[in-house]
Amino acid sequence: MDAIQVRGLKKSYGSHTVLKGLDFCVRQGEIFALLGVNGAGKTTTLECVEGLRSYDSGGVSIHGKTGIQLQSASMPEHIRAMEAVRLFSKWNKTVPADGMLDALGIRELAKKQYYQLSTGQKRRLHLALALTRDPDILFLDEPTAGLDVEGRVSLHAQIRKLKAQGKTIVLASHDMAEVESLCDRIAILNEGRIAFIGTPLQLGERVGKHYRITVQTEAGTEEYASENIGETLLALLVQYREKGVSISDIKVDRGSLEQHFMKIAKGEG
Amino acid sequence: MEAFFYGAALQWKMDIRSKTLLITCYAVPLLFFAIMGGIFTAVMPEAGKTLIQSMTVFGVSMGALIGLPPSLVEIYGGDIKKVYKANGVPLYLGLVLTNLSAFVHLFIMSVLLYLAAPPVFDAAIPENPGAYFIWLAVFILVSLSIASMIGLAVKDQAKTSMVSILVFLPSIMLSGIMFPAELLPKGLEAAGRIFPAVWGYRLMTESAFQFATLLPLLLLLAIAVVVCGILLRKVGE
Repeated sequence: MDAIQVRGLKKSYGSHTVLKGLDFCVRQGEIFALLGVNGAGKTTTLECVEGLRSYDSGGVSIHGKTGIQLQSASMPEHIRAMEAVRLFSKWNKTVPADGMLDALGIRELAKKQYYQLSTGQKRRLHLALALTRDPDILFLDEPTAGLDVEGRVSLHAQIRKLKAQGKTIVLASHDMAEVESLCDRIAILNEGRIAFIGTPLQLGERVGKHYRITVQTEAGTEEYASENIGETLLALLVQYREKGVSISDIKVDRGSLEQHFMKIAKGEG
Repeated sequence: MEAFFYGAALQWKMDIRSKTLLITCYAVPLLFFAIMGGIFTAVMPEAGKTLIQSMTVFGVSMGALIGLPPSLVEIYGGDIKKVYKANGVPLYLGLVLTNLSAFVHLFIMSVLLYLAAPPVFDAAIPENPGAYFIWLAVFILVSLSIASMIGLAVKDQAKTSMVSILVFLPSIMLSGIMFPAELLPKGLEAAGRIFPAVWGYRLMTESAFQFATLLPLLLLLAIAVVVCGILLRKVGE
């Protein structure tokens, strides 16, 4: 069953049309990413789907309770982390789960006032606030922006845990490595339209399998391009053997998600 | 209701942690009282008859007009309102809780002035303390409602401070607490009547209640409540 269905979503700001009729669905329990270059309409799409922004035409159906972590979020500077979580929980008539508080490290921050928190700690707090509604669907807009490596790894682990609990997660991100490692499916926005929707693997297939093979020998390094990795590798091994050249290393680069994304985003894929 | 009371207590605590509110609601009014109270009663001994009221009008105007708007701009001028809206917390909560907390702080400050003025400066206690505290509550409410309009209408902290001062200064200068309003040029005297301080001061110093003095405050309150409602709806959009 689909957790979110978006049909013909259109949105303009004055004479500038940002969304030109988006159609997509998000399946229950999956991690779905919205990708696009700056100005592609990711945040507008998210905010229209979240109900925070009105749209001109089309429709959005959401099946389940939502929790939202915004890209730019703030809280009163003198509120303590735990007080914010309690306030939101009480307002939503929920009890913050101990596991969630521990996992996000909110207890360690309990006594710190908002202005004393680092960027990463603020991100964790806002994720905790989004979770106080015990949502079925969680929206995360650039969840790891501004985080250091440790914070990023920790947040990725949290997101995986939430998925394991059956939550549907929709995220907008610029980080291709994050998208590749976390997401089940991705949608790429280009000029207000969905240019691609599918799994990260399907994205690679869509733009074509262009492998780059680097062979290192005593004589030096040589590079080869291939669309059929199996046949090319076999042929190369035979060729070097016949020449009597010993291979010290072989590298196969299948092209990063980032490269595939750029092709689609530029309309080349 | 539990969430509301928790929010109210939390706002009260946050206001105590905030140095800005402590300065505008307690430090400056009490310091003003300590210095000006001495000067007023030394220069004009009869000032002691209305010292509690004049110092209270200054303190409440200062705390409300200068102290409250920045807290509202923090919530409604930035990203806090989006976080509230996104996660099921009603937008009016920030406005109601900050007003409630400021009301309590300003009332406490006024009680401190009421208790300190007689022993320190030999000030006279209002004839009818019961009525005095009722009119004080009305004056605080109206001052906060005007401050709320500023906090909701202006989105920028620097501009808010400027607008607050532009309202606060004439409010105090024309209120009659420094010198009788009747001594002012007619135009300025008339201009002073659009500010709550004039009516609040009169209401708290009059020996007999006159509805004509309360009416302008009620009208100001009604206008401010409607305007705040419209501004809050606009913020939500």
